[in-house]
Amino acid sequence: MLVLGIETSCDETSAALVVDGKMILSSIIATQLDLLKKYGGVVPEIAARRHTELIGYVIKEALDTAGKTLDDIEAVAVTSKQGLIGCLLVGVAAAKSISYSKQVPLIGVHHIEGHIFANRLSHPDLPLPHVCLTVSGGHTMLLYVPEDCRYELLGTTLDDAAGEAFDKIAKFLGLDFPGGPVVDKLSRQGNRKAYDFPRPMTRAKTLDFSFSGLKTSVINMFKDRVARNEALPLADIAASFQEAVVDVLVSKTMRAAGERGVTAVSVTGGVSANSRLRHVFAETCKQKKIDVFFPDLSLCTDNAAMIAAAGYARMKLGEVSGLSLNVFPNVPLEG
Amino acid sequence: MIVLGLDTSHYTNAVGVVEGDKVLADFTYEAKTDSLEQIVANIESTLQSAGLTLKDVEGIGVGLGPGSWTGIRVGVTVGKILAFSAGKPVAGVPTLEALAYAARNESPLICAVIGAGTGDAVYAALYRPENGAVGRISEYYVGDVKGLTALLTGPAVLAGNGSQAYAGLIKQETGMNIKAVEALPGGASVACLASRRLERGEKDDVLSLTPLYLKESTAKAFVNKYKSNHA
Repeated sequence: MLVLGIETSCDETSAALVVDGKMILSSIIATQLDLLKKYGGVVPEIAARRHTELIGYVIKEALDTAGKTLDDIEAVAVTSKQGLIGCLLVGVAAAKSISYSKQVPLIGVHHIEGHIFANRLSHPDLPLPHVCLTVSGGHTMLLYVPEDCRYELLGTTLDDAAGEAFDKIAKFLGLDFPGGPVVDKLSRQGNRKAYDFPRPMTRAKTLDFSFSGLKTSVINMFKDRVARNEALPLADIAASFQEAVVDVLVSKTMRAAGERGVTAVSVTGGVSANSRLRHVFAETCKQKKIDVFFPDLSLCTDNAAMIAAAGYARMKLGEVSGLSLNVFPNVPLEG
Repeated sequence: MIVLGLDTSHYTNAVGVVEGDKVLADFTYEAKTDSLEQIVANIESTLQSAGLTLKDVEGIGVGLGPGSWTGIRVGVTVGKILAFSAGKPVAGVPTLEALAYAARNESPLICAVIGAGTGDAVYAALYRPENGAVGRISEYYVGDVKGLTALLTGPAVLAGNGSQAYAGLIKQETGMNIKAVEALPGGASVACLASRRLERGEKDDVLSLTPLYLKESTAKAFVNKYKSNHA
């Protein structure tokens, strides 16, 4: 089954054609990086305007790249849950127009479920059950996944998302946007043991996360050094901060895997592209004899291929949305 | 030529269908927060009441705004992607033009006006009826209601949603007496104006069609102001 995926929940306008939730024929992503750099983050109204300008081109490009037309499409999957409301709306308006005119099913997808399915695109044989850590600029969640599209929430962030902490620290240190890749790159030149930043919530009984205290700790340390006219080794600060985030994410995920007795861990979302996170997970899982899976780098950040894959899975379960599909900026992941 | 017209700029889903100048169906559905939810159902029931389906439609007209920013994104995205998907030509119609068209028999000079959401700010433009449609004869105006008086010469009438209140404000502030006609942008008005354009071969590019905001987002305006102050 050929599914057209559409994703416009934040700052990427994306469309993709995916066969049977497995084979990507095309995946087009128009980023708004120029706008992010200009405004230091996502401005909802500006992002929504850009989506409206680009949506038609991106869909056409996805069709042309795959050598298909809209007559070949058998379903349309679109991110309708979780994101900026004005941005989600553009994708859903486009998706329902195609669904209506071509008389094909429409499936509204939760953005986070899309990220979870990014790993299925990269690893079709990803074992079930598994524990999934999905972590980006907008969310940080630990899930137990017993079967497709069924989720038990084990832990979530109580304040900032991990990716958000990367962005804010990068901005504070005067680095480029988005913060994740920049901190990752800079950290390779730094000493990750230079500063002993706190590992919030690692001793808590729950599997929840918190990153705002860590962020404040980095900022306070930085300000103290400025006040004392001390040198500011940015690479060391970045590396030590990153190590603290990685430690928390890995230790909580391993605890969840142990408690649930699974032999596979899936790590997804924008932060799963972080090279140190990948390295530490690989080392730790090897010791514990657990298989760890990461998506291809191209599928870590927001993309429509993962939405098409998740939509296909929901459709197989008989879950199809009507043409009155609406957008929901903030709703829990169902399943 | 059978043309479907949409305008979602005014917290309504206005949907109409025309054949040339003949109105086959014209409905204005209230859509305060459910414009996106209802738009396809509204299109379907409008076509149905004219005994048509989407297949019978030969062109699509879209109200481009100005108006509710979220509203016009729903209308413009649905209009252009429906046109792209169904392989029909599309023509964008400024919502101010659709308002002036609705009042074309009231006066030889029409000032179409739309509330701009903040305080007494409005979007406006001056139109003259010509050849059964209307032609714009001023620049687009974005500013307070009082400033409209510079546009209003001779026998101009105000046309728009809330135009009576705007006329009252102008009278209060400047003493000027202006006739006002209440009007909402209708789907059939948009369809008629689009139909004329499409008949003349003036279709818009289906992929690049974008709303007519007439105002920058607050963030962009802020950054531009900051830059000009620090230039």
